[in-house]
Amino acid sequence: MSQASPITTREAGFAPAYSPGSSKAFLSENMKSRIGGGLESLGYTLAGMVLLLAVWWLGGRMVAASDDLYAFADFAPVPTLIRLTDMIRTGEAFQITVPSLFRIASGLFWAIAIGVPVGILVGAIAGFRKLTNVPFQFLRMISPLSWMPIAVMAFATWEGAIVFLISVAAIWPVLFSTASGLRRIEPSWFKVARNLGARPWHMLFVIILPAISQDILSGIRLALGVAWIILVPAEYLGVTSGLGYAINDARDTLEYDRLAATVVIIGVIGFSLDSLLQLAIAKLSWLRSS
Amino acid sequence: MTNGAHIQTIGVSHTYKGGGTRALGQIDLEICPGEALALIGRSGCGKSTLLHILSGLSLPTEGKVLVDGTRITEPSPSRIMMFQAPSLYPWMSVEQNVGLGLRFNGKMNEAGRRIPEVLELVELGDYAKRNVQDLSGGQQQRVALARSLALKPEVLLLDEPLSALDAFTRHALQRDIRRICKDLGITLVLVTHDINEAVMMADRALVMKADPGDIEAEIRIPISGDRLPSMAAFGDARRELVAAYEAAAGMAMAEAQSFIPQDSLNTPTPIDRLAAN
Ligand SMILES: Nc1ncnc2c1ncn2[C@@H]1O[C@H](COP(=O)(O)OP(=O)(O)OP(=O)(O)O)[C@@H](O)[C@H]1O
Ligand SMILES: [Mg+2]
Repeated sequence: MSQASPITTREAGFAPAYSPGSSKAFLSENMKSRIGGGLESLGYTLAGMVLLLAVWWLGGRMVAASDDLYAFADFAPVPTLIRLTDMIRTGEAFQITVPSLFRIASGLFWAIAIGVPVGILVGAIAGFRKLTNVPFQFLRMISPLSWMPIAVMAFATWEGAIVFLISVAAIWPVLFSTASGLRRIEPSWFKVARNLGARPWHMLFVIILPAISQDILSGIRLALGVAWIILVPAEYLGVTSGLGYAINDARDTLEYDRLAATVVIIGVIGFSLDSLLQLAIAKLSWLRSS
Repeated sequence: MTNGAHIQTIGVSHTYKGGGTRALGQIDLEICPGEALALIGRSGCGKSTLLHILSGLSLPTEGKVLVDGTRITEPSPSRIMMFQAPSLYPWMSVEQNVGLGLRFNGKMNEAGRRIPEVLELVELGDYAKRNVQDLSGGQQQRVALARSLALKPEVLLLDEPLSALDAFTRHALQRDIRRICKDLGITLVLVTHDINEAVMMADRALVMKADPGDIEAEIRIPISGDRLPSMAAFGDARRELVAAYEAAAGMAMAEAQSFIPQDSLNTPTPIDRLAAN
């Protein structure tokens, strides 16, 4: 749950609110240091991107210079980025992304719909935790992709099979993170609520869910990472849409610039989704010291 | 306002599952409506266990607890327990924490009037919208007190709620809690290790001993109005209580003597000290 690093800066910003009498100078000092910190981290971000581009460019040059690999020269940044702008302009980028996002959303939906309630049961009921420990750990260790043949047989559509594979991969982080969040709830929070007359549904919606919201979101963030990784190989299956299909298709047609551009799209979207979730975690976090 | 409840325990004893020893021997005690009772004794003598049983959060292995003549089998918002930690919900504001009991009991229509009222009572009127994490420990404990009072309980059960606070805050809260309970007629049961706290707050103190937890002595503390450590009657009650405490603990005098003056409550206020010089 401490992956949400931005919380510390937020905490620093809250400190002065505690003593209203403290001088304005302290506030502005604090703001200055926050802005300074922001600029510094922006600098590192830009430098990191430049570094990545440089390595990519260098790799491209080496591939182009090699007699064996010359055919793959389109992997280099310049052809890739040209093709990428092209794909964005024509709407192709959008077109291949939407089905994938839809599959990810469906897969995550099921992972959350099943993972959170089961996680709460695992965290709350010792007997259930002991009973499910071995089966869950066992199932978790099976690569989600090894379910592929079974999924294909069990589901009438390719679509269903892919969503299933994503769910199977994404459920574990949600489930375990929910369970561990529940076990870390202060026991006195339950006692006080019970004493004040909380009914079971109060306990769930007023105490438990807000208390573990950050754990659930951290779990979802991990789940998204796994789901995003599973997505591409899963889309190598029978479907004719989505990012995984686009990659396969580009390989078959030897359009390596399109292939590389698709890889860039996958990276950018995955990175953006993760950043959005990280932002949500920081926003929803009630924890002041983390 | 409300009239505190009458509490009676009949043959209450308790053995924890797994733990071999009996945490409570056989407790027969009676607490009058509106009375302030202190349970005092060394660590592990069963004070918290007894308090949980009085609240209904735990059930005794044997015996029964009658509140206003009715046997209790579960906790009730009319008997509120407070713990050493304020146990506030950190994602809620002060007023949300305070209004929680009203919310759970379908009385949110009273919240607009009741929440400011109890916040005023604990002198936190201006803090309603704050997040509880931005308050000091003493302020947090006041919020917990306001939350406990919001449903107009008949009984307040305090398990060392002030032991984590500094001397001045603690002193102020001891005085305030006693005043509030007396004003509202709430029956108060207070668990403490601290003899001065017992003398500050209680009309009667029960000294407990361990193995199995039992009531060893009963000391009455008949001082009306606000109490100050500098009062003669305060000193008398404290001496009596110290003697009973030592007898129950089987503890050497020197240990107890160094224990008392160190305790901040007993320290004269700066003004007292100036006057003495
Ligand atoms: N959950 C539990 N399971 C088993 N034994 C327990 C449990 N809680 C308390 N005990 C035992 O019961 C006895 C009384 O405990 P209790 O918490 O009531 O003491 P206490 O007087 O409140 O002590 P303290 O002043 O340290 O809070 C102790 O011997 C303790 O070890
Ligand atoms: Mg205790």
